[in-house]
Amino acid sequence: MNFTITRQNLQKGLAAVSATIPGKTTLPVLSNILFEADADGIRMSATDLDVGVRIRVPADVKEAGSLTAPGKKIQEIARELPDQPVQLNSRGDQVEIRCGKSHFKLNGLPADDFPELPQVGFEGGWTAEGRDLLSLIRHTSFAVSTEESRPVLNGVLWELRDGEMRMVATNGHRLARMRIPAGPSMQTTTQLIVPPDALQQVQRLFAEDAEVSVARDGNQLGFSSGGTEVYTRLIEGTYPNYEQVIPKDNDKHAFVNRKALESAVKRVAAVASDQTHRIRMEFSQDRMVFNVLTPDLGEAHDEIEVGYDGDPISIGFNANYLLEVLRYVGTDEVKMSFKAPERAATVEPMGGEDDQVPDYLCLVMPLRLAD
Amino acid sequence: MARTIQILADSVANQIAAGEVVERPASVVKELVENALDARATRVEVAVDQGGRRRIRVSDDGTGMGREDALLSLDRHATSKIRTAEELRGVRSFGFRGEALPSIASVSRFTLETCARGEEVGTRIRVRGGTVLAVEDCARTPGTTVEVESLFLNAPARRKFLRSSAVETRAISEVLAPLSLAHPRVDLVLRSGERSLLEVPGTGDLVARVRALWGDEGADGLIPVEHDGEVAAVRGLVQRPDRARPGFRRVQLLVDGRPFRDAGILAAADRGYRTTIPQGTRPWIILFLEVPGGTADVNVHPTKAEVRFRVRGTVEADVEEAVRRALEREESAATLGSAPATGAMQARESAGPARRPSAGKGTESEGAGEAQIVLFGTVGATEPAPGPAEEEKGRGGASHEIDPGVADLLDGARGPRLWQVHRAWILAEVRSGLLLIDQHAAHERILFERIMERFDAGGEGGQRLLFPLTLRLTVPEVEMVQSLAGLLHRAGFEAEPFGGDTVILHSVPNPHPYFDAERAFREMIDELTHGSDLVRSARNQHERLAMSFACKAAIKAGQALDDQEIQELFDQLFATRLPWHDVHGRPTTVRLSLGELERKFGR
Repeated sequence: MNFTITRQNLQKGLAAVSATIPGKTTLPVLSNILFEADADGIRMSATDLDVGVRIRVPADVKEAGSLTAPGKKIQEIARELPDQPVQLNSRGDQVEIRCGKSHFKLNGLPADDFPELPQVGFEGGWTAEGRDLLSLIRHTSFAVSTEESRPVLNGVLWELRDGEMRMVATNGHRLARMRIPAGPSMQTTTQLIVPPDALQQVQRLFAEDAEVSVARDGNQLGFSSGGTEVYTRLIEGTYPNYEQVIPKDNDKHAFVNRKALESAVKRVAAVASDQTHRIRMEFSQDRMVFNVLTPDLGEAHDEIEVGYDGDPISIGFNANYLLEVLRYVGTDEVKMSFKAPERAATVEPMGGEDDQVPDYLCLVMPLRLAD
Repeated sequence: MARTIQILADSVANQIAAGEVVERPASVVKELVENALDARATRVEVAVDQGGRRRIRVSDDGTGMGREDALLSLDRHATSKIRTAEELRGVRSFGFRGEALPSIASVSRFTLETCARGEEVGTRIRVRGGTVLAVEDCARTPGTTVEVESLFLNAPARRKFLRSSAVETRAISEVLAPLSLAHPRVDLVLRSGERSLLEVPGTGDLVARVRALWGDEGADGLIPVEHDGEVAAVRGLVQRPDRARPGFRRVQLLVDGRPFRDAGILAAADRGYRTTIPQGTRPWIILFLEVPGGTADVNVHPTKAEVRFRVRGTVEADVEEAVRRALEREESAATLGSAPATGAMQARESAGPARRPSAGKGTESEGAGEAQIVLFGTVGATEPAPGPAEEEKGRGGASHEIDPGVADLLDGARGPRLWQVHRAWILAEVRSGLLLIDQHAAHERILFERIMERFDAGGEGGQRLLFPLTLRLTVPEVEMVQSLAGLLHRAGFEAEPFGGDTVILHSVPNPHPYFDAERAFREMIDELTHGSDLVRSARNQHERLAMSFACKAAIKAGQALDDQEIQELFDQLFATRLPWHDVHGRPTTVRLSLGELERKFGR
């Protein structure tokens, strides 16, 4: 293998793949990046066995071939190289890097040791607008569960059906759901549970205006656009019936200024228990009152004006869940809906007359008020 | 009718009294040594032959007596220690009944040699079976020597019940132990025949004294107690929880310097250990109580082994609190050093000064005579200067302030550096060295105290579940859930029986992001239904549930934590009352001091 590449292209490739290199691994080859050179340029790949990233970058290939080289080291070197063409040349399992007067030899491993990334045929897949995909990911993936007892909740549910593309994530305490009308290429009906790590790579590597091809092959899912590919293992299992738990009969609605609400919650949450983060909210005619009482810490009382004309209700929440939701809702005005103090509450964005308001819904389960 | 009731002659009365006071040679030694100590002796030598049957000799360098006093001392109820009934209240001397000497003299061949300070000539009085044989001059340095030979010469029944010499000798050394602890500044020597059994210098260092009496093994694991309670001021030494073992233990209680036995006070001290030691473990306890005059009555029993407290409940509470406070401090944490070999021979001859008094935290002085002042006077001395460390420690969301003792550990204004190692332990760099924290044990302690607090405060709100958990349990388990419903509710679990063996959980507590509610609930109910050492050690249902919950809900070993979580765990641990011990009686933290490190590396 022997090729010459611009420093920018080398760095671009390294930056794309190196985030997937696992920090600690028992399999040494996973610390390496796979370089494959052919007539069209080179391909660089890295994987942690769950998520894999591959990128094609232009290069002037003199001799085709492949090799793996330690990812972090190459990246450290490339970062400080002068702005001149970089020549990479394999000698056995060693890779030689030359750039201007700089010269390095790094010990690599044979390309055969590198785990093969899944083969996913993108012909049988569908395409999604980068904008839509990124928006779905951003609005939902924060809500996945970190607890390991229910693996399906550790992933984001991605559904294609009824002409819609949806993503849903929940940890059993709060849930985020977003729906976007699907384009014509998405007439398939499918349900995937995708690990958030993979979605994070998608978010990082694909641009808003990219056309992203997506395809599934058995247990693997692939994303591809403009020479960059992301592969991931899917989470197996049945996602709980989330439609059933989204309340349809919440009849008490509060219309709240998001900024005011957010800062009020932040203020009173400072006094909340560091375990439950519990705050109490009371709604009455156009008023929203916050109360926090934490034994041996203190108490807080606050009040903001809202639009509310339902029956008074008092409800407890984990302040962190509320703040998270408010961060992603996006619009200046939000609508909160309730039924009863022990029933799920929802938060939805509200727009002006002609604003484009995303079809986004967050659900937060209340904390039982013990007193 | 002839008169049948007679007043007994003094000699007979004395023999009867001797039955109460003088039971065996050990009680003679006790009475005589107490007299010596009451006479402000600085050195007391005890010599016995054949377990004291043939001879007991106690000599001191105390104040001594003049001739008249010496003669009077042999009369019943003759004493220099009190004068009026009022003085009986709050009496500080060991003796005051004036019974001991005449009683002993009435059942033995008895020789008293004494010389008051400033007198030229001493007095020797010889008594046999209560009859004074001779009063003569003798040459003697100030002080008193009492020699008792042929004990029970006129009480053959008593004599018959004496045990072998070895047993009696051991009993004698046992009675000396509490006296020696009560007066750590007095040189005490015990010889049996030619053998020296005990030789403790009066350095005033309590730890050294324990070491001399009971060996290195016990003395190394003792931590100081220091607490001024509502009624009683409590000082002394208790064993570090990680050193405590089941089975035999050393216990010594003293009130106003007087040894006594009291199951209630001891039980209170043991209560102070609750949750820091496994059930059945019996820590060593040496406590000195000081109570205001008049609140303790020591005149309950001729041997004064019992004490009556006017406000027993408060005294017990003070003792419990004192022990608990000792266990809150850093010294109570386990150290890395290898555990001492069990069954090591007691170093009875070790008379040299202690290598390192474990009580010496916060002071460098090891000088003779200083150590006890340090031990008993640390309250002011160790008051940590309110450093910037405490203010800085407010971060991380700990709801309490960091224990000032711990803040003192931390290195200046910045918090300690923390690392998680092997996803199970947290390594903290502190001023005095390193702390190794078991993340599970630490979190157990945090959760336990938190939930107990919440029980008191009316309960924990639970997080309502979007997808309620349906659990199938065994029938006894369902019954347990039903019987505990109220308490579970206050712990944050809203469990509803769903017929048969099924229970639905509608809400669960959410103590940390990695909490697996279903597993914790199942394990907890299983443990509560079928019992375990842990739940058996609990005092009541509240504590049982809290312990079980803490154990099952705490983050497990193997859980990777990010920097902020590590910091929070550390902060919260040291905001608890007993940060050094988990609820199973295991340490949460092992200390590795710089000194230890330096020793290991031979520096």
